[in-house]
Amino acid sequence: MNIENLPQVTQFKTDEQPHIIIDKEVCRTCEHHACVMSCPANCYTWNEETGLLSVVYETCLECGTCYVVCDNKAIDWSYPRGGYGVNFRLT
Amino acid sequence: MAKYFDVIVVGAGPAGSLAGLKLARAGLNVCLLERGSHPGAKNMFGGLLHNTPALNELIPSFWEKAPLERHVYKKVLAFMTPDTAVSLSFENENFDRPPYNGYTVLRPAFDNWLAGEAVKEGALLLCDCTVIEPVMKDGAVVGVTVKGREGELRANIVIAADGVLSFLAEKAGLRGDFVPGTLGVGVKLLLGLPEATINERFHLVRDQGADISFLGIPAGIRGGSFLYTNRESLSVGMVMYLDSLQKSGRAPHEIFDDLLQHPQVKKLVKGAVPLEYSAHLVPEGGYKAVPTVYTNGMMVVGDAAGLCYTNGINLEGINLAMTSGVLAAETAINAIEAGDYSARMLALYKKKLNESFVIKDMKKFSKSVGMMHVDRLYDTYPQLLAGIMEKIYKVDGTPRTGLFGLARKEAMKEVGLKDLVADSIRIGRALL
Repeated sequence: MNIENLPQVTQFKTDEQPHIIIDKEVCRTCEHHACVMSCPANCYTWNEETGLLSVVYETCLECGTCYVVCDNKAIDWSYPRGGYGVNFRLT
Repeated sequence: MAKYFDVIVVGAGPAGSLAGLKLARAGLNVCLLERGSHPGAKNMFGGLLHNTPALNELIPSFWEKAPLERHVYKKVLAFMTPDTAVSLSFENENFDRPPYNGYTVLRPAFDNWLAGEAVKEGALLLCDCTVIEPVMKDGAVVGVTVKGREGELRANIVIAADGVLSFLAEKAGLRGDFVPGTLGVGVKLLLGLPEATINERFHLVRDQGADISFLGIPAGIRGGSFLYTNRESLSVGMVMYLDSLQKSGRAPHEIFDDLLQHPQVKKLVKGAVPLEYSAHLVPEGGYKAVPTVYTNGMMVVGDAAGLCYTNGINLEGINLAMTSGVLAAETAINAIEAGDYSARMLALYKKKLNESFVIKDMKKFSKSVGMMHVDRLYDTYPQLLAGIMEKIYKVDGTPRTGLFGLARKEAMKEVGLKDLVADSIRIGRALL
């Protein structure tokens, strides 16, 4: 599964309001960044040089894995507003 | 629009919709809230709808009406190592006639249909509604608030069918934090393949379907993989415990490639076209992880109540979910008749659950959770089995060892006596 192709196989309706907000200061000092490796949609990126964690909420599959594996409680995660976010057509 | 209901059901998944149907049929004023643009838009599972008497009872001969893919005729359990597969295949003519033992289904279609049946009975379905939290009054749940909308919806009883990450149960104080050791993540790719090719490749005719469970992939991670045949597609995926996934340091989509690239699986999915990729959490903490399922004014059903179990061979959730939905609805009907929505009254729901197969099965396999966390189950034992099979069949001019001696020698080499005894006891306790 080439995860880069995700938006071509799975449909999303993007809300302008993000449903995931990360606390970049807490993430800067996190030792494991478990969210980066655990996310099935590869939404998280850790930049070693800048010490910044970034998240692309637009292709979130809304599984909640990141929220559960983050033991620093640095991820403010909620379900998107009704009708927005991932929209499974076939699965 | 009335903002006051007898019952609000949060989540139009299988548990919520069947609860809604039962309540509406009893003449109650019931509102079904769904955060997707249609029921099923947010829902994903492996792909097996197990035979559920509660569903058959409420919608007789439902299999003639529901959008089902195939009925499960063939069950295969395959123990995999990177280059071997030892499989046990079970084909049963009794699974080939109604009432069928199970079906492959696709959730956007199935969930939409089931919610539609509830609507036909008079339930009010409101889509595009993400519930934020319960409305509390004097220690009781009296309604819910909806994201991005003013005001609140009120009801005598709220049924939380809001899925595995039940923020309703959490915010009502019925459960603790969500932790990696009691949750698995499922990832799945739906692959398109012509019907005739599927029938030929999996040796199926008519509406017959196959369920193949793979143990040993992903290698070194506590979890398992599956392949189910739909009419014109294959559901291929895997479920991994979050703590084990985290420890592996690998990404789910990379691990998923191990499955697709395994020589045995590769042949099965050859030429198939990716149609949709999805992921979802699975409550895998077993009986001990079941939260409190009722409080004043609220009951929790399905995945939200952690009603799901696996013992390595069976993986059941949707049938437990639907049954719990019906039991909660029955309780709500009694409560509304009595005009009593207190926890004392709603305790009846827990009593019904305890008396049903739902909690009985979860209790029976409560020790399986410990077994499922034995790492050896996922690499050493498939390896051991493959080693024995290879030595049985390999012909190379060296004298043979008797079968028992062979098994003993391989077991000692791969596992060692101490672990072997400990694991035998653990597996025995978990399954027997």
